[in-house]
Amino acid sequence: MSSWDGVKIAVLLFVAAVAQVSIFAQIDVFGAAPDLLLVTLVGISLLRGSAAGAVGGFFAGLIVDTATLQALGLTSLVLTLAGFWIGRYGETTGRDRAHAPYLSIAVVTVLFQVGLLVVHFVLGESAPGGAVFASLVPAVILNLIVTGPVYWLVRRLLRPLERTELSAEVQLLG
Amino acid sequence: MATRGRSARSAALAQSVQRSKPTPYPSKVRSALVRRAVLVGLVLVSLTLLTISFRSPTSGALHDIQGVGSSVLRPFQIAASRVAQPFRDAYDYFDGLAKAKSENAKLRQEVQSLRSQQLISLEKAQQEEQLAKLLRYHDGPTFPKGYRAVTARVISASANPFARSLVITAGSSAGIRRDSPVVSGDGLVGIVSNVFPTTAVVTLLSDSQTVVPAVDLQTNARGTVHPSSAGQLILDYVSKQLPVNVGDELVTLGTIDPRYPDLYPHGIAIGRVTYAHATDTSSFLQVELQPFANLSSLQAVSVLLATKKHHK
Repeated sequence: MSSWDGVKIAVLLFVAAVAQVSIFAQIDVFGAAPDLLLVTLVGISLLRGSAAGAVGGFFAGLIVDTATLQALGLTSLVLTLAGFWIGRYGETTGRDRAHAPYLSIAVVTVLFQVGLLVVHFVLGESAPGGAVFASLVPAVILNLIVTGPVYWLVRRLLRPLERTELSAEVQLLG
Repeated sequence: MATRGRSARSAALAQSVQRSKPTPYPSKVRSALVRRAVLVGLVLVSLTLLTISFRSPTSGALHDIQGVGSSVLRPFQIAASRVAQPFRDAYDYFDGLAKAKSENAKLRQEVQSLRSQQLISLEKAQQEEQLAKLLRYHDGPTFPKGYRAVTARVISASANPFARSLVITAGSSAGIRRDSPVVSGDGLVGIVSNVFPTTAVVTLLSDSQTVVPAVDLQTNARGTVHPSSAGQLILDYVSKQLPVNVGDELVTLGTIDPRYPDLYPHGIAIGRVTYAHATDTSSFLQVELQPFANLSSLQAVSVLLATKKHHK
């Protein structure tokens, strides 16, 4: 991954994080809001792998935590894991598959929400499980709606790497 | 040849072959390690930040850094909000329109419900007013002696060319008998013409079958009240020599001679004279009257029942 890619990823995540906390977080559709940052991170992770996903998730989480003035590290922790996991999926089975971003978003949205719930619960903060689970389906649908254009944009900015450029422990044949 | 070949193969098979170590992919191994190290490092940093944040949520270096970071981010957030504002306004506008539609439908339903409630209230108020009048009549000095009243609600009314009647919610089980006079708080309404166990039919004063002997309270002129062919209530059979004036009040004549009992007790208000005129062609005065009781909007009436046999 070139340093130019790094700059582009940083800008993308910064814009997505600011837009998320300033605009998208205020949307309320059946108790859920589209998560532009998560969708952008999934796109980056799929295209640039797990390390980029983890680092990007960490710093995007820091921006969110700083902007919203909540406990620093909370969103970072969950987004780091999400970025890494989606990155690994992209490096192995998910790459070159058209449904990969959509599948990733559907799964990671659920895991992200549940992960945040678990972290809040563990930290002894308010963890409204009922509300979180009730908003899961709308959240997944909203994120799937924004996945198409966001992934298209991310793909335009970050050219998909050749297989050899991606780190992989599982080599796909053929 | 064959033996030699087999022994050579056997010898080759018997040889202990040292399998070469699988060639590692140094770059891949390294990248896997780096990747894992990055993940573990970032998770640890996140946990550390989280711990520090929770240990000192309102003070400390991290808190200060977060404050500075927030201040730095603030202009970007404001800019993003401003960029999004027109879209938000447009969304709010259309959302407001959509909500206004549903709200409009809801309000229409509410208005309909309130209107029906208002109608019920008005009906109840009207009924209450009539009941109050009936109560005053029962307790008043004009209530006929030797009678008791059974008050009942009017459940239906028919006003057609053939019959003008009411159905009331009291019947033989309440002691109501046929030919019992029926009054409202304002005056005479009619007479019971049919009785069922829990309901009764009241033929109204305006029915063509009804004939009520009446007397003018002011001039003592006597006659019979019944509807004319045109439907107007008239006082008939009044001698032209007797004076009847517009505005005079008519009441039931009642029983004068016990040998000839009347269906109606004496003194029930019937109506007020609205027209009185003598013509050469008629043997009697032409007297028209307006009934005191509003026969078209009755909610409750009282049936007068004789408490003792005073008719004979």
